[in-house]
Parts: sequence; C-alpha cells; structure tokens
Amino acid sequence: MATKLLPVVKLATKVGIAGGAVYVAYDSGLLGGSEQGSEALQKARAAVPPAIEEWMKYFGLQTQLPTIPNVEFSPVQAWNSGVRWTISRLSEAPTKASEMTTQGFQFVKDLLK
Amino acid sequence: MSERELGRKLDRCLADGVIKLGTGLGLGIVFSVLFFKRHAWPISFGSGAGLGMAYANCQNDLRWHYLLHRNPKVALADETTQR
Repeated sequence: MATKLLPVVKLATKVGIAGGAVYVAYDSGLLGGSEQGSEALQKARAAVPPAIEEWMKYFGLQTQLPTIPNVEFSPVQAWNSGVRWTISRLSEAPTKASEMTTQGFQFVKDLLK
Repeated sequence: MSERELGRKLDRCLADGVIKLGTGLGLGIVFSVLFFKRHAWPISFGSGAGLGMAYANCQNDLRWHYLLHRNPKVALADETTQR
C-alpha cells in the first residue's frame, strides 16, 4: 500500500511546490501588466538588501557585501537629449552671437585706446 | 504622446522586462528541477515566455495612446437611447 502511495505523494508535493511558485509569482504581480511589474521591481529594490543583511546576521556571516553598482539609467532623462541640446543651443545662438560681437568690439576698442 | 510620457513608458518597459525575465527564469528553474530532470530547455522556455510577456506589455503600452477607447458608461447610455 505504502509503495503505491509514495509516488502519488511525491507527485502531489512536486505539483504543490510548482503551483505554489506560480501562485506566489502571480499574486505578487510579477506576471501582470507593466505597471504592476515596475511596482514590483521598486518593492524588490527596497526589500532585498535588508533581507540579505538579516540572513547574513542569522547565519553569523560577517563579510562585507559589495555595494550594488548603480545602473540607474532613466530614458526619461536621456530621451531626445541630443535634439533638445541642439535646439536649445540654436535658440540661444542669436543672443550669444550678439553678446560675443559686443565683447569683441569692446576688446578691439580697448586695444585701440 | 509627449516625450516625457514616452520616456516614462520606456522606463516602465525596461523595469517590466527585468521583472518578467527574472520571474520566467525562476519558474523555469523550479519546473526544470521538479518535473524535467534538470534539463535546460524549461529555463530557456520560461525566460523566453517572460521576455515575450514584457514585449507584449510594452507594445500595448506604447500603442495605448493611439487606440480608440470606448467609455463603457457612455456606450451603455448610447445603446439605451437607441432602443
């Protein structure tokens, strides 16, 4: 009886673990829309380092963790920055040109004195 | 769609891609260990599915602005007046 029951229990455990993993992933919003996904990433960023520290203390490990490299790349800031820079310089160009011309004239006047 | 909004959406796409890839990888590892005798293909499959989900989400997010949206309340009111 036990030999027949054992594979069933084993399979049930495996299915339970796999189903639990899928459920946890779905429940924490990891498989949802993009907004849920980015929220989950923010949560993970806030939650993971303290948890690692806690576990390190629990196991009595005193090694210093390497600091997480800052790979913050925000397309909001970088988006079209080249175009923005060019357009802003072009819009400033007449003012700058007149300023520089005035300075040049002043310099030449000072030289001729 | 403004540049700022587009940037925000791309930002969200990147974050979502990382999350989906990680989730797919994790679930792939779990399934590979539990059911598929530690073969590598469930891991690849899970990661690919995760990336595909992120791509579909991103595409939907970027197209959202150009789609016609129907307000359910207004649509319901129209239908009742037409009857």
